[in-house]
This record gives sequence, C-alpha cells and structure tokens, in this order.
Amino acid sequence: MLLKYKINSPLKRLIGLLSLGVILISLPFLIRSPYYLHLVIMACINIVLAMTFSLMFSAGLITLGAAAFWAIGAYASTVLVMNLGISFWLALPFAGMIAGIFAFAFGLIIVRTPGFIFVMETFVINMMVVHAFGHITQLGGWGGICGIPRPGAITIPFIYQITFATKIPYYYLILLILLMTVIVFYALHSSRIGTAWRSIKLNPGLAQTLGINLFRYRVMVFTIASAFAGLTGSFYAHYYETIEPETFIIFKSLYIQIYGILGGLNFYILGPTIGASIMTFAPEFLRITQEYEPIYTGSMLILLAIILPGGILSIPERISALSRQNKVKKVKQ
Amino acid sequence: MAMLEIRDLNKYFGGLAAIKDLNLDVFNSEIVGLIGPNGAGKTTFFNVITGVYPPTLGSVLFMNQDITGLKTYKIAQFKIARNFQDSILFMKLSVLDNVVAGFHGNYKKAEWKSFMYIPSARKEERAAKRKALEILEFMGLASLKDELAANLPHGHQRILGICIALATNPKLLLLDEPATGMNPEETSNLIMLVKRIRDNGITIILVEHDMQAVMNLCNRIVVLNYGRKIAEGLPDEITKNEEVIEAYLGREEDYF
Repeated sequence: MLLKYKINSPLKRLIGLLSLGVILISLPFLIRSPYYLHLVIMACINIVLAMTFSLMFSAGLITLGAAAFWAIGAYASTVLVMNLGISFWLALPFAGMIAGIFAFAFGLIIVRTPGFIFVMETFVINMMVVHAFGHITQLGGWGGICGIPRPGAITIPFIYQITFATKIPYYYLILLILLMTVIVFYALHSSRIGTAWRSIKLNPGLAQTLGINLFRYRVMVFTIASAFAGLTGSFYAHYYETIEPETFIIFKSLYIQIYGILGGLNFYILGPTIGASIMTFAPEFLRITQEYEPIYTGSMLILLAIILPGGILSIPERISALSRQNKVKKVKQ
Repeated sequence: MAMLEIRDLNKYFGGLAAIKDLNLDVFNSEIVGLIGPNGAGKTTFFNVITGVYPPTLGSVLFMNQDITGLKTYKIAQFKIARNFQDSILFMKLSVLDNVVAGFHGNYKKAEWKSFMYIPSARKEERAAKRKALEILEFMGLASLKDELAANLPHGHQRILGICIALATNPKLLLLDEPATGMNPEETSNLIMLVKRIRDNGITIILVEHDMQAVMNLCNRIVVLNYGRKIAEGLPDEITKNEEVIEAYLGREEDYF
C-alpha cells in the first residue's frame, strides 16, 4: 500500500500539496533555532533510510544492513572529495552508485537465501563494513574523519550564490533528496516492478510460476535501496563534516527497521515518514537523555508488538474493525 | 509432432521412485487425463515439468525445445501454466489483482518504461486489467473482483487459481485436481469451463479423481500407479482395463 488514505478530489489534493509545499519551503524561517532545524534535517535523512528499508520489505526482504550502505556512501563521498578533489555535487551521485555496486556484489551472493538467513547476512555485512572502516587507518580508523568540506557554492547566474554557510541550504538540499527519493520510490512501487516485488513477497512459489525471476528482482531491490542509502550518506558526511564508524553500527540499522515498523510496514512511503519523524523528534520532546534513549525505544517497540503490530498507520483500520465488531454485537442483542 | 514429449522420465527421492520410465506424448488441443491412486506420482509429474525440481533421468521436450530441469520462471516463459492442489494464491490481494499479477510475462513494453511512467507501458497495464476482468467473467468470478482472495470460499479459490494460470496466456495448462471439494453442481460448471478453455486453443493435462469430470472432458487417459504408466487409451478402454481396476480397487477408496 502506497497512499492508502487517498484524497479523491483532485482539487483537494492540489490544495493539500500546495499547503504542504508552502510549509516545507518556509520551514527554516518558521523554526528559528538551528538546533531544531538540525533535528528536521536528521529526520529527513532518517526518512530516506527508512524508505529504503520499506522498499526492500515490499519485496519480502528484511535488511539489517541499511546503515552499512549509508556508511559506504559517506566514506566514498569523503574520499572522492578530499582525496580526489572531486566536487561534492559529482561525489553525491557517485557515492550512491558506489554503494549500489557494493550492494549488487553482496546481493549476488546473499539473495539466494531469502528469509532469516538473509537478515543475518545483512547483519554480518553491517558489522564487517563498520569494522573495515574502523581498522583501515587511511580512512581514519575508529577515530573517523573530520574536517570534511562543505558542498561547494552554487551560482545561479545573474541572481544569487548559494553557500553552505548555515544549516538552511542543507535543509533545502536534503528536502530535495527526500522528494526525489519519494518520487522515484513511488514510481517503482506503482510500476510493474513493484507488482513483481509484492508478488515475490506474498508468494514466491506462485510468483515463479508466473515467470518472475526471483533472483533478479531481489538483487534489483537490494541494489536500488542501498544506492539511495549511499546517496544520503554522502549528504550526511558533508553536513556533519565528521564521520566515524560508530555512527553506522548495527544499532542504526535496527533503528531504521523500527522507523518502518512504527509507521506501519504496509505503507511504503507514509509509514517510514511518520515512523522516522516520531523517533527523531520524540526523544527531544520527551527530554530523554542519550543514555536512556535505548530504554525508551525498546519499551516502545515492545508496546508496538503487543498493541499495534501494524504501526501507527494501522490505527484507522483497527478502529473501523472494532466499530464493525461492536455493530455486530449490538445486532445480536 | 507432439507438443509435449516426455522421454524415459525418472524421478527418485532418495531410493523412492516417484516416477519410473515414463514416456508420454501430449498433442496440440487435446485434453489428456492423468489418473491414478493417491501417491501415484501425478503431482510429482507436474512438478518435474514445471521445474519445481529436476528429473533424476529423462527429458522433457516442449514444442521441440528441451526444457528438462529448467527453472520454474524460465519454463513459465515457454507458456506452460499450472494451478495447485492447495490453493496457492496471493491471499492479501484482491481477486482482480491476483489475476493481473499473472500477466507479468505478457507485457511487450520494457519494464523500465513502466517505471518512467511512459504512456505506452502504463496503457498496457490498464489493458492487462481489462483482460483480467475478461478472464474473471469467463470463469464466473467477475462479481467478486474486489474481494480479498483469502475471504473466498474454497471452491472459488480453486477457480481463481485457474484464472491466474490463464492470465499467463498459456499454450499448455496443467490442472491439478481442480474439482476437489466441489459439489456436483460446481463440478458440472467446472467441466463446462475446462471445455471452453480447450476451445480457446489451450492444451490441457488434467489430473483428477472425479470420474465424471475425467470421462466428460478427456480425449485420452493415462493411468499411473506407483510412478509407472500402467495404461493409456480412450476413456472407455480405460474403464474396462483390468490392471486399472485392480489399482483402484486394491486401495481403500472406490472410485468407480
């Protein structure tokens, strides 16, 4: 399900989109504090990462390695810019491609065993990647790399020059990346490729008899998802100006999965958006210090599993199911 | 020349021979019945042809091309379709979406074009939806098109399984016990539908226990027992064949 809660009137849709657009564009000026803007930027990054998780989930693959490809993108972009002198604007797509290539290579090996083994193998990949970056001294080892240059200025002829001196241009950049990801992923989900993925997820045996090449589609989704994670990695490296292996540990991949679960795993775009946003902002608004944050997340996950396995977006459906049950009870009486 | 040529087919599971020295030809536009007691190897036969597992020995030729041991999705590309004994459906999808999913191999426009929203590709997909609806009407399920597959009664689920197989536009259709669990009225309906499918130019191999269906539909009947072919011929000949009668009467069930 992509946008299950469809607003049918095209006029309403247009007005809704425009309002949303206005809010998003003026957001940096509504939020005065750079700290909160930072949270918004991190939320956007987390939304993209969560969407890559959902993309793979739509094909029946659960990944615990999203952070690894986020890392590969971050490190690749850093090396491209700092060691090879390439402009950030070229490094950004290249980093995505490099992450995609790694995913392709890994995928050829691990996609043949879907299910639990696949999950474990992505877990191992994540650990391997973190340790690789930790042990390679040329890549900064466990201390990481700092002083990563900001994106170069964009000159719009005759009008303006955009420099990345404050957080605001970063916000618009990540917003653009997020938008592009939403458009690309929506196009994928609604195309025949998405149909094939969902067929594989629902019933791989039946999908095969319909001519669907499971291997091909699984490698495809792994590659695409990881490439977008890598893209975000490049942004992250030049935004934070520092990267260290600790950021990309397996916990991050687990959190990415939780972003998806919290929002609702059946909603491939709205779900990650809601889940990632809540989990990025909630610890702040609940004033949870960093040490206790995992307790909050863990408890929330347990509650979700017991009360609301379908995530937040399943609430309307649960309510209508309950009201139908009540109607039946009333009729019986 | 036969559409499907099975030569010296053997399938062993460990030491157990599920299919032994099977030779069979299936010709264009006929309905061949495959009968035999439970465990005779009929479903194994289907599984070997459709690539669920490769044969231990022997070969399968379809339209003169060797399809022995090919993977399932490759064999689907040869336009061989099947349904399953236990309804194998996309339970969480609607009836219509189930059938549309079957069209996967039939699109002429490239996949990336669908992703890029190129009109010709998306047009094909809308046409697929219409064709899916036609198939549902043909098989009598059109009124249930938006119903969740999981919510359908068992008999309808089986027919849906056949619809999905039809969506692949097959040349050869393997029907695995489609009439199981159907009452006489539903069975008569099924018989009519299978005839119609054949009249549309699709060759059918029918595995069935229901003798009414088998006698009514099949041009020829092949009888398996313990993985071997024990008889082959016209329906009337088979009912009189002593070995066949013994194979059935030697078991608990009485099919005749």
